[in-house]
Amino acid sequence: MNLLPVILFVVIGFLLGIGLLTVSVLLGKKPKTVREHDIYESGVNPVGSATRRYDVKFYLTAVLFLLFDVEVVFLFPWALTYQESSMKGLMIAEFVFFMFIFIVGYLFVLFSKSLDWED
Amino acid sequence: MINEILILLAKVIIIILIPLGVLPLIIHVERRGAAFIQKRVGPNRVGPFGLLQPLADVVKFMFKEEVAPSHVRPFFYKLAPIFAVMVALMPLASIPLCAPFIIGGETIFPESFRSSMGIFYVFAAASLGSYAILIAGWASNNKFSMLGAIRASAQMVSYELSMSITLVAMFFLYGTNDLHQMVAYQNETILGFLPRWGFFYQPIATVIFLVGIFAESNRLPFDLAEGESELVAGYHVEYSSMKFALFFMAEYIHMIVLSAVFIILFFGGYNLLPGMSLLENMIPLPILQTASLIIKVGLMIWLFVWVRWSLPRLRYDQLMDLGWKRLLPLGIINLIITVAFIYFQK
Repeated sequence: MNLLPVILFVVIGFLLGIGLLTVSVLLGKKPKTVREHDIYESGVNPVGSATRRYDVKFYLTAVLFLLFDVEVVFLFPWALTYQESSMKGLMIAEFVFFMFIFIVGYLFVLFSKSLDWED
Repeated sequence: MINEILILLAKVIIIILIPLGVLPLIIHVERRGAAFIQKRVGPNRVGPFGLLQPLADVVKFMFKEEVAPSHVRPFFYKLAPIFAVMVALMPLASIPLCAPFIIGGETIFPESFRSSMGIFYVFAAASLGSYAILIAGWASNNKFSMLGAIRASAQMVSYELSMSITLVAMFFLYGTNDLHQMVAYQNETILGFLPRWGFFYQPIATVIFLVGIFAESNRLPFDLAEGESELVAGYHVEYSSMKFALFFMAEYIHMIVLSAVFIILFFGGYNLLPGMSLLENMIPLPILQTASLIIKVGLMIWLFVWVRWSLPRLRYDQLMDLGWKRLLPLGIINLIITVAFIYFQK
């Protein structure tokens, strides 16, 4: 029940998308030529397949993002409870320790050249 | 019960109609702004000042030939634009248009999805947009689309990281994750005349977040996903007619949502603009606050247009360098300075 508004938004968005596409299908012209069904490649015949290999760096970026983002997520509850906590010193000590790990990890990634894109 | 459902429906309809209603206007401003910056005339034929041009475009999109190329993966190819619009609308559920107000002894919250996790929900839903791009790129089965989609996902992910770090600093400063409380915090003034906006406390975070929302919404100078000179149109090369229009719509709604979040975090949200309090006797406060937020978002949209036609596109390695080697360390330093400042202030 609490999630009803979110479900409502999903349904409305979905119906909006489907509705506009249907209008376009109903009103639009039908394609006549076979050439329109070709892969678009600047007007020349397509070369090779679309599912070709790509640089592993993209994958590495995704993995590094996961790593750092999880670390940042751990900081959210800390930042939100700080003002109500009575042991500010301990909270700060935790923060210093956590940021030390974070920064060492970041520096390791930086110096292992995982973030370099020009080669 | 019926009352509650009616109120919910009213809230949902209002928050969806506002972005959809101003969408044609935004597109018009974008095109006229481009023309203004490039010393052209721009669209000025349909209606007064060309204001009806976007409507004419919608009609054109409807009557366009509906091509579904034979090489695509049909289900996902059709799903992607629908999904894009769907996830673009989703974060609107938690955006507060005005402060909670009282009608008939009942407090009404302006956002339809009221939760203590509101801002996390907005971010989660907004970042689903990268899936729409990935699905479109993969389903199109085209080299350009695939490359565009991969680039877009890596780019959005990289800038989300710096944005999250600045968000931690903002939470720490405000001591809350409730958007209403954040706006209330910014309602006062500092030094007697400056509004107490997040911008004046966290200028570095503001800059990082601003760059982040440009990158998240794939706008120039970060539109590597659709760089015309190398990828033709990136992930939507194979999309035409209404399917393309849906992606277009999703991009603009995404811009509106992220601008609204940016305004709420750093520029006082729905707090009244100077001079607006004079109208308080004539117009109800919630409407004034909504108008104030819409004006601020409108200025942000103009900034988007301005930047788009002023700055050149980055190269991909520059883009990744900016995200990982500049903004991320800057965000970490900003967070540490914020924490140190608040700790030693007491």
